[in-house]
Amino acid sequence: MRIGELSDEALGTRLRAEGLALDFGAAHGRVFTDVPGLGESLRRVYAHFPVERGDGFFDVTARVRRARGARRFFRPQVELVVDGRVPFEPFPAANDLPLLEWGMNWSLAERCNTHLLLHAGVVERSGVGVLLPALPGSGKSTLTAALAVSGHRLLSDEFGVVRLDDAACLPMLRPIALKNESIGVIARLRPDATLGPVYRGTRKGDVAHLGPDAESVAKRDVAAIARFIVFPRYEKDAATELEPIARARAFAKLAVNSFNYEVLGPAAFDAVGRLIARCECYRLSYGNLVEAIATVDDLLSRPSGGGA
Amino acid sequence: MLSSRGTLDRHVDLLLGILAFPARAVSLSLDEWDLVVRAARGARLLGVVRARLERAHLLDSVPTPVRAHLDGAWNLAAHRRQMVLHEMHAVAKVLAPLNVPLILLKGAAYIAQGLGCAEGRLPEDLDLMVPRERLDEAERALVLAGWAFEKTDPYDEHYYRVWSHELPPMRAPGHAIELDVHHMILPPTGRVRPDTRAMVAATVAVSGSRYRVLSPADQVLHACAHLFQDSDCTGRLRDLVDIDSLLREHGTADGFWTTLLARTSLHGLGRSLSYAVRYGSAWLGTPVPSDVAPEIARFGPGPIGRGAMDRLVGLALFPTAPDQEPTPSTAFGRWLLFARSMWLRMPPWLLAYHSLAKLVRGALLRRRAVAED
Repeated sequence: MRIGELSDEALGTRLRAEGLALDFGAAHGRVFTDVPGLGESLRRVYAHFPVERGDGFFDVTARVRRARGARRFFRPQVELVVDGRVPFEPFPAANDLPLLEWGMNWSLAERCNTHLLLHAGVVERSGVGVLLPALPGSGKSTLTAALAVSGHRLLSDEFGVVRLDDAACLPMLRPIALKNESIGVIARLRPDATLGPVYRGTRKGDVAHLGPDAESVAKRDVAAIARFIVFPRYEKDAATELEPIARARAFAKLAVNSFNYEVLGPAAFDAVGRLIARCECYRLSYGNLVEAIATVDDLLSRPSGGGA
Repeated sequence: MLSSRGTLDRHVDLLLGILAFPARAVSLSLDEWDLVVRAARGARLLGVVRARLERAHLLDSVPTPVRAHLDGAWNLAAHRRQMVLHEMHAVAKVLAPLNVPLILLKGAAYIAQGLGCAEGRLPEDLDLMVPRERLDEAERALVLAGWAFEKTDPYDEHYYRVWSHELPPMRAPGHAIELDVHHMILPPTGRVRPDTRAMVAATVAVSGSRYRVLSPADQVLHACAHLFQDSDCTGRLRDLVDIDSLLREHGTADGFWTTLLARTSLHGLGRSLSYAVRYGSAWLGTPVPSDVAPEIARFGPGPIGRGAMDRLVGLALFPTAPDQEPTPSTAFGRWLLFARSMWLRMPPWLLAYHSLAKLVRGALLRRRAVAED
């Protein structure tokens, strides 16, 4: 059974009592909440995730609840509790799902210190993985989402999880947080995509979450070997341009764009080296998403193995 | 009545159990591991749990998903340890030419000494002690070399300078670790005044380094004073675990306990030591020789004081239950211990002045925040 098929009652019981288990692949999460409406949003973005038991061991357990205090009467807020602590300032009550998603990402980034966590999207097609690392605002999430709704398997958007011993990419299947114009762009690209509600006026503007599709969820335990590293850069009206970059430069860009490169030290250095050694590295500037998708598809259709 | 481990909250009982008897790990269910890992993370003890399991050769019995968290915490601790070593190196370069005794305290000392206590432990900052009469000189050298005081306002600055046992925290640009330079181990305004001169005189050189560390007995007493004299105990289980580790390690040396008793009287830290031993033995199985235990117990308070502390420390010290809020009684207990710590730290007139200053400043800051909102 999938989470999208849970009845209101079954979903409510899980969220209030047992915990709603979420299997991201490289990590397992569990959510508790009694905030009305949040369950419905979760059911939408996690629709294709299997229903699993809420007992046992979880990498992160998060609880979203109404914040207390006088404010609740005129400006209600929600807060996130992780392991008995409230790590952030509360959010306006309407932004419950963005708070939960952001908080779980934050927790995973902080505690998954046995794998290298790159700040990168990862997709795969026909056994060939593409890593899309980028700084916020470069259009990484939009491009990752666009590829995910155009026939690529999604492994992750936020965390490029790299296993240290063989530099394979592990899925960390989390909903993709789309911002502002990207929401409409993805909805037009794939009208039946698993898009959650649009949250207006969060810290990052409007946000909507793209839920991972059924196939990506089914393969959540299958690692991928990356053959390409593409650094996307969105610029309005820019021409689509794919430009090879030197591996040494790509190495430096990857390493500084990681959540725990410094923590893992030499092991991370080796893993990035191993990853880069088997990849061709490019910079992709684009203004037109459809062209960008075609460019990546084109790259994947070429026989790989050459260097950049 | 001191809570025996059986009457503690489940997450606390499981965490203490595995710290004191690592063999318990073998029989834990995944549900129990979930509680242990979350409680240990909250108490910043996850890496220490791993160290104790490794020492008992039990790591292989840990289920894979749990093991990832223990290893992750271990990696994080190793990284922080590296950062502390880096900071020690940088500070030594600046201060060595002054020929000032450089005495490492707490975590940095445990690392320099290679104590088992440092394994898996997450060091927060670098605590350094220099003799009071050389403090200005050391401060000038550090500031000239690029260390700057972390943002403090004039009141905090004044507080540190006049009433504290350390300088405000300093940091060099780009350094991960904060530097706390002490000239005493407890505030000079406090009720207990350890003999700093004797402490400095008894320090031991760390081989292959410019640094010195406190003698084993003084090191234990400093850890006790830090927890029971200079803190409100809230969430400080890890400090008790430090003391437990130190006593397990130093306690096997010849003459340690005799020296410990003598130094305890010299520094006037009997009360703190008695609490550490009382709670350490009850909750962590801290080993204390049977002929020494009653001697230490004699430093403790009378039955009423002891009963009150038992109750309060039991409420404050442990990590919050992962799925619960602190209850009102816990919150009140913590407040009482906070009040106690302030009382121990400064005389009443200073306490009143300081509380008033904090209150007024807090109100002003809140008004400013509201205005800016």
